[in-house]
Amino acid sequence: MRLPRALLALTAAAALAACGHRDLSALDPAGPQAGRIAALTWYLVIVGSAVFVVTTGFLLYALWRGGRRVENYSGEAAERHIHRWIYGAVGVTTLILLVTLIYDFTTGRALASFAEPDALTIRVTGHQWWWQVQYIDPVPSNRFETANEIHVPVGRRVRIEVQAADVIHSFWVPNLHGKVDLIPGYTNTTYFRADRAGVYHGRCAEFCGYQHARMDFLVIADPPAQFAAWYRNQLRSAPAPADSVQQAGQQVFLSTRCAMCHTVRGTEAGSRVGPDLTHLASRTTLAAGTLPNIRGSLGGWVLDPQSIKPGAYMPPNPLEPDELHALLSYLESLK
Amino acid sequence: MSSTEARVPAGLLNPAERELMERTWRPRRGLWGWLIATDHKSIATRYIITAFVFFLLGGIEAFMIRLQLARPENHLLDPDQYNQIFTMHGTTMMFLFGVPIQLAVALYLVPLMVGTRNVAFPRLNALGYWTYVIGGLFLYVSFFLNTGPDAGWFAYVPLAGPQFSAGKRVDVWAQMVTFTEIAALTAAVEIIVTVLKQRAPGMSLNRIPIYVWAVLVTSFLVLFAMPSVALASTAMLAMDRLVGTHFFNPAEGGDPLLWQHLFWFFGHPEVYIMFIPATGYVSDIIPVFARRKMVGHTALVLSLVATGFVSFGLWVHHMFTTGLPQLGQSFFTGASLMIAIPSGVQIFCWIATLWAGRPRFDTPLLFVIGFIVLFVCGGITGVMIASVPFDQQAHDTYFIVAHLHYVQMGAFVFPLFAAFYYWFPKLTGRLLSERMGKWNFWLFFIGVNVTFFPQHFLGLMGMTRRVYTYLPETGWGPLNLLSTIGAVMIAVSVVLFIANVVRSLAAGLPAGADPWGAHTLEWDTASPPPPYNFAHIPVVDGLYPLWERSPDAAVVTGMAAGKRQVLVTSVMDAEPESIYEHPGPSIWPLIVALTIGVTFIFGIFTPWAFLVGPALMFAPLVLWFWPRRKEPRERGFAEEPA
Amino acid sequence: MSTREQKVLDVSGLPTVVFGPKALLWWGTLGFIVIEGFTLVLAVASYLYLRQNEFSWPPGRTPNPDLLIPTISLAVLLVTTYPMYRADRAAKEFDRAGVIRWLLIGTALSGVACVLRWFDLLALNVRWDTHAYGSAAWMVVVMHATLIVLDFFECLVLAAMFMTGRAQKKHYPDVSDAAGYQYYISLTWLVLYLIIYWGPRVL
Repeated sequence: MRLPRALLALTAAAALAACGHRDLSALDPAGPQAGRIAALTWYLVIVGSAVFVVTTGFLLYALWRGGRRVENYSGEAAERHIHRWIYGAVGVTTLILLVTLIYDFTTGRALASFAEPDALTIRVTGHQWWWQVQYIDPVPSNRFETANEIHVPVGRRVRIEVQAADVIHSFWVPNLHGKVDLIPGYTNTTYFRADRAGVYHGRCAEFCGYQHARMDFLVIADPPAQFAAWYRNQLRSAPAPADSVQQAGQQVFLSTRCAMCHTVRGTEAGSRVGPDLTHLASRTTLAAGTLPNIRGSLGGWVLDPQSIKPGAYMPPNPLEPDELHALLSYLESLK
Repeated sequence: MSSTEARVPAGLLNPAERELMERTWRPRRGLWGWLIATDHKSIATRYIITAFVFFLLGGIEAFMIRLQLARPENHLLDPDQYNQIFTMHGTTMMFLFGVPIQLAVALYLVPLMVGTRNVAFPRLNALGYWTYVIGGLFLYVSFFLNTGPDAGWFAYVPLAGPQFSAGKRVDVWAQMVTFTEIAALTAAVEIIVTVLKQRAPGMSLNRIPIYVWAVLVTSFLVLFAMPSVALASTAMLAMDRLVGTHFFNPAEGGDPLLWQHLFWFFGHPEVYIMFIPATGYVSDIIPVFARRKMVGHTALVLSLVATGFVSFGLWVHHMFTTGLPQLGQSFFTGASLMIAIPSGVQIFCWIATLWAGRPRFDTPLLFVIGFIVLFVCGGITGVMIASVPFDQQAHDTYFIVAHLHYVQMGAFVFPLFAAFYYWFPKLTGRLLSERMGKWNFWLFFIGVNVTFFPQHFLGLMGMTRRVYTYLPETGWGPLNLLSTIGAVMIAVSVVLFIANVVRSLAAGLPAGADPWGAHTLEWDTASPPPPYNFAHIPVVDGLYPLWERSPDAAVVTGMAAGKRQVLVTSVMDAEPESIYEHPGPSIWPLIVALTIGVTFIFGIFTPWAFLVGPALMFAPLVLWFWPRRKEPRERGFAEEPA
Repeated sequence: MSTREQKVLDVSGLPTVVFGPKALLWWGTLGFIVIEGFTLVLAVASYLYLRQNEFSWPPGRTPNPDLLIPTISLAVLLVTTYPMYRADRAAKEFDRAGVIRWLLIGTALSGVACVLRWFDLLALNVRWDTHAYGSAAWMVVVMHATLIVLDFFECLVLAAMFMTGRAQKKHYPDVSDAAGYQYYISLTWLVLYLIIYWGPRVL
């Protein structure tokens, strides 16, 4: 098995080259929700730092002053004097906490009042260790499913309904909003809006087992026209194989284990154990943000997922080189 | 007072009686003597050493975590090992080190500080220790057999449930919790009864040292917090896994959030169970090294009590991202901010005392100063994450890791080291090296900051917790490396501490009864204290008994030198009420602990263990309490009817 | 310090056997009552919490629990308080014969309660592994069962101690504490009985 190892090496190199910097900063908001929280964060950081500096300042002064005393400062008058300072300090502390409390509450209310009836609704279901993404629309023919990559239109409110298929996960896109947990038996809802186009990284934030570290996803904010085009494309079934190689690849897909877990709309493959692959080639990453979606890494992933993401539920697929070549050609055609 | 109080020249123990007392209380020799020991100092010393060993094990695990994360895509540990190790780290530090060591130190100090001869129920005390040891050994033996728990120290269901954690790993965790809960609960009852009923005459409520107040409040927290996790882990999680109950199975009406509520109803007070005794150390150490009485004693005591109460109103702030109703969450934000006020009061009183006194910069005080700095920092980040919106970003990121280590390392381990340096001479009769102590402190202080301060930034940069690796393009590499370098400093510092202890035990300077000029009763007796603690129980006439002792202070006489007698006093005013004879050493606590071990360890495999185990327990329990022989009539009482 | 004239507080006249809040063991027993009681409170809270997840309680077609046996069981526990009360009084008078007589009656009744407890469980009309309702109801009843079994053996051993003549003066307060513990068990069962056996008809 020389091939997988070579593919792995290629994958690693490609990963470094393709992905570039990932921005997961909570302080670089791209929407109003994250923006409000970032403002609150700066307030907390500044006030907190000030309190820290003042308190340690008092401590150091006390040590310096006390260290120079030859006699204790005590007696009734002294105690009264000290107590006045303590009352003052407690008063200031309470005041700061009150202001903070009010700011916390107003921010919380503002975040909660973001609900909107005609928001774009997306249902996100957490699986060990990938994200199932369903676009919900009142018209059934306008619904579709994808995985690990969420496209949203810039400037429109998005309503995310989260559920868990197995264990607890947590949905978090730091640039857009705080996190919300996916809990079996519950449906939680969160709203956000992306105000500038871009690719925002998301992660699972709640420990969910073996590969919790590799359960990422992308939120891609497109300008409305581009988003509409993407949406129309996603609604379509998979394109038919364009040549004989792709034709052979489709046969490999349908006749091996692939079809036992994955759906490719427009073919007989309709299982929903793993991610929907109908438009696999239109996505940026593979295996929930683990690999860039390029031929090399796709091949490595198909052959030997366990050495890339140990414990993932995808089994190894020992294919002959020509079978693999055909399969990859077919998968790459699923634009 | 029913007894007589008079000036008599005699009444004190004569040399023969002193000899008799020595013989009555002297511990038995050899291994057997060690197994049957019930002296609180003997039990507490081994409790402290055991907990410290677990601290080292938990520290080694922490170090492995830091090594794995030192650079992106590191392959030192695979995800399975990593998940076990971070679970073991949290579990060890919280259940096998944090709570046990605070209770262990209390079991050593409280009887000495309140002026009595042993804890209220010496055999129960031994039982608690043995149960704890069995629980700890069980966890680590399982870990080395590759059956270490791997679902986090918080064991969230359904991940920890039967469906997603096959095998016995989580069962080991759940039963380890049972063992440590039994140990903690027995210790809490010991401490409460000892403090309420065995204080030296004259130690009325307003003269109880702050440390004793602190552990009293802590013991009440244990009493009300531990049942919650015991119920959740032993009665629910273990049963879901063993006999197919459905407490946490949403498909059958169960609820994963029920686990979180019960766990954090315990888990948050747990933090204060570790923290409150630590503030007690600080409030007792500062006056000694500032050479001045504490400013605001009453305020400090009230702060402790308030902290204890409010700590039960915080648990939901661990659940701000679970989608609970906003109004409810606001309450918990309010409570979480409110608890900063009593903490603030304490900090201001400490600073004021240092300012108004004449501080002497020995190692215990250095650790106290380090504590105040770190605790202020950890407290401020605590106020930050009490905010629901900010917490929704910070939750489950390294910001939380940074915060919790500032409060655990800063506000719990630093005072603990201050306490080690301060009370070590009392336990061993020897002084630790000040020079090594200062190295120990500075390395520790700088190490903790280098390790944990960068983690605030990592959290805000999106680094989530409990990840075994991360990609280079996240940009988290350099700060993680820095954090690992800090961990090396901490490790060196701890090794230095151990070296200091070893050196001191071998060749430390003799300490004498009171090397510090301290104010509490434990410094009124030899170092290390004799098995009976005090030849004569002192009569207390002030809040600082050794500083305020009047020249004609009384001592208690009239207790039989040939019996293990303790003086029982009233709850409020510590008026002598009765004399109680303690049972002697016994093997039965160990045997009963072993049957408890059999019950819960085999209870992992079969529910029948819960019938067989208690049946095995019956005989040793009866023998524990069964009177050995008819004893001669005790003086001063009506005859027993025929 | 023995050379100087030392003021002393002579406690040799104090009693060595005391009852109630003056005794250490009374406080120890109280401590464990608080622990067990609070655990039961949390168990009941969990039972009620799980109630929220169902439309009806018991859920689905699960029948209501039976009332007959649990009511008898409650009556037995409440009746047991009387012999325990008498044993307590006898203990306070150091009346060995009275202690033995009333303790034995109390122990016998306690044994009956233990046996009835099995039928209390059957009266729930649900298995622990049927659904969360069954799990929670079983948990509460079993937890209380461990308390009555504990109480039974405690009374049994105490009675044996007094009958064999091994008991000393200092054991009389233990009888008092055993009585107090039995009151607590009966009282908690009254509450649990209402919640577990009547609750489903109301909630």
